[in-house]
Amino acid sequence: MSERLFGAMTPETFDARQPAFFRFRQLPMAPDKVVLSNLEGRWLVLDRPDFLAFAQGQVSEGTPLFQKLRERNFLRAYYDVPAATEMVRARHEFVGAGPNLHILVLTLRCNTTCVYCHASRANMDQVDTDMTVEIAEKSVDFILQSTNPAVTIEFQGGEPLVRFDLLQHVVRYANERNEAIGKEIDFTLVTNLSLMDEEKLDWLIENRVQICTSVDGPQDVHDKQRKLPKASAHGEAVKWIGRINERYEELGLDQTLYHVEALVTTTRPILDRWKELVDLYVDLGCRALFLRPLDPFGFADKTKRLIEYPRADYVTYYRNAVDYMIELNKGGVEILERYAAIFLTKILSGVDPNFLDIRQPSGAGIGQLAYSYDGKIFTCDEGRMLHEMGDDTFEIGHVMTSKYRDVVGHEAVRAVVIASQLDGQPDCVHCPYQPYCGIPPVHSHRIQGTLLGRMRESSLCAVHKGIQDYLFEKLASGDEETLRVLEKWTTIRPRDHFVQ
Amino acid sequence: MKALRFAKDLYVGEQVDAAVKVYGRFGTLELAEDEDAWIVTVDAQTDARTRRLAGELANYALGLTIRQHRGEGAS
Amino acid sequence: MSEPLEATPHAFVRADREDGSVSFVVDESVYPLEAIYGATFTFLDRCFVFLGREGEGQVRVVLSAKKLPIADDELRGWVGELANELLACAWRGRILEQNRATIEAVTSQAIGGAMGPPSLDELEDFDFSEEPFEDPLGIAMSWEEKYGKKDKSQGGETEGT
Repeated sequence: MSERLFGAMTPETFDARQPAFFRFRQLPMAPDKVVLSNLEGRWLVLDRPDFLAFAQGQVSEGTPLFQKLRERNFLRAYYDVPAATEMVRARHEFVGAGPNLHILVLTLRCNTTCVYCHASRANMDQVDTDMTVEIAEKSVDFILQSTNPAVTIEFQGGEPLVRFDLLQHVVRYANERNEAIGKEIDFTLVTNLSLMDEEKLDWLIENRVQICTSVDGPQDVHDKQRKLPKASAHGEAVKWIGRINERYEELGLDQTLYHVEALVTTTRPILDRWKELVDLYVDLGCRALFLRPLDPFGFADKTKRLIEYPRADYVTYYRNAVDYMIELNKGGVEILERYAAIFLTKILSGVDPNFLDIRQPSGAGIGQLAYSYDGKIFTCDEGRMLHEMGDDTFEIGHVMTSKYRDVVGHEAVRAVVIASQLDGQPDCVHCPYQPYCGIPPVHSHRIQGTLLGRMRESSLCAVHKGIQDYLFEKLASGDEETLRVLEKWTTIRPRDHFVQ
Repeated sequence: MKALRFAKDLYVGEQVDAAVKVYGRFGTLELAEDEDAWIVTVDAQTDARTRRLAGELANYALGLTIRQHRGEGAS
Repeated sequence: MSEPLEATPHAFVRADREDGSVSFVVDESVYPLEAIYGATFTFLDRCFVFLGREGEGQVRVVLSAKKLPIADDELRGWVGELANELLACAWRGRILEQNRATIEAVTSQAIGGAMGPPSLDELEDFDFSEEPFEDPLGIAMSWEEKYGKKDKSQGGETEGT
């Protein structure tokens, strides 16, 4: 196809029908359709004959197709440079804003053992993996130096509720220190919920700490992946999700904005049970489901023989689950898939929701920083996870000794920023999904031994391409009801946080 | 004993020297030079140690050469 | 002893099972030295890597196992991955050259934005004497030096806008 195309495009003739710069891809599951996007990320899905006519500069003026191509800025003679510039700018509004997400690892201790634990948890008696008050305060001082006027402090572990006292101290200390600085501060707690009680919940709600958790599927799957001694991890999570959402309701908070955020780490046993998974999340009152594939960090690397799967199987699971979610939405149920929401926001609205792992340049170092229990600073939480596996590539400083500007200007940060720009990436430069995509270099480094990565072999690229193929198929379907659902998923709500 | 021939147009001489300095204490390293290459003869207590020492030395010299090459390319 | 490795191109690839190594001849007219450096660098953590001159415009890359013995499958895996990485590096080099301005602009804005301006303390600590001042845009040059009339005898073309 491409040979015929490029052959037909030469010799150069400049007339109104000639295409401007574009990238294209045949949809694998709908090969009669071709997605094309331009430099600024406007897009069209064309039938194959129309696409060939467009690419060969043979669409007649005055036809509806010609008009559509002109409106979407796909014709060289009518190319609207100021409009394109404005769109490119809007898509990159986050560049230069500085680190917003700050992940604080209060302890590595955890009362649950997960087969895939990305964080390399420690046993409950390993108190030497607790953050000291001094390091916690220094971390907050460091965070408040960020150039970003809004910061989110995300409590991670291990299990952060093991050190609820320290969490409380950090929230109080950060709010107190911020009185003179005036940043917008949010707090997020990522917890397995098993150490939650009513007193802690009261405090968290009173101090506006958003609560995020994991539910990996029905009880048998969840409890097999996430082992809690003497109790069901699933039972605890489900009980507290219900209770927390109930409290939000009692307080009269808007349920669409205030609810427990939960995500699933997709392991092999759940691939065929997508319907049960979606139903479970709906029953729990969750408005969003994040179908995350397994990451190659922490214990997941050692247990992959049991829980990993080919990414083609993941894409099938994703398509089935989201098809079902769309149907539920048509029936009035509100549940969105987080990956789809991120991509659709970029595709349909032209703005970037600033999800740090799917943007370019990636958020590592310039959009997020991770602070380990011992005060070491990393470009991102995955960089911290690699450190626990013996790889210090992404360690960029220490809260006790490093200066803020040295940390964010560290050579590892610069390398990651350069490596994550898809304008320098083979394959991506010709991919129509480039304006909406992003690959964290830490993933390529782990899987392929290079920050730059080879996208054709990248499991993450396979996931991103698979999801976007699916979304463009839906957008091209012309089904009004489906389009309304997808459009609704792009609404950015002020209370939304993306769990990293 | 194992002889490594570092081609002059592929390796930076100073970096081969630097590698020899770092690994010299792990065995006997002899340096020679001809028109096209720096030649390092590696010998250690056993064949396995000689093989490993030669490998580590080669990796170190290549790593430094690439780093210098990139630094020059970037400036 | 060097011999062919099954399911790899025999013209380029030889294996030495006793030594636990595989070698791959790379043509510099297809893969520039920069790409060979880039690709082989990604192997330093898992093999011993050695580059040798094979002939005019040809480099032999030798990858040796850090631990013996090693299976043929693993050697084959290295060859495949090296070939893919070589292609990626060669192509990336050309793309980076084409898109250098964009990438540099985004990088400087991203890093500069995240760092913010230096504090007075940091300015005090800054050693201005360490490196000679580079002035690629000629900002520190006098107007005469930068835009002074050229000697007509030097000729030169007039660019239209």
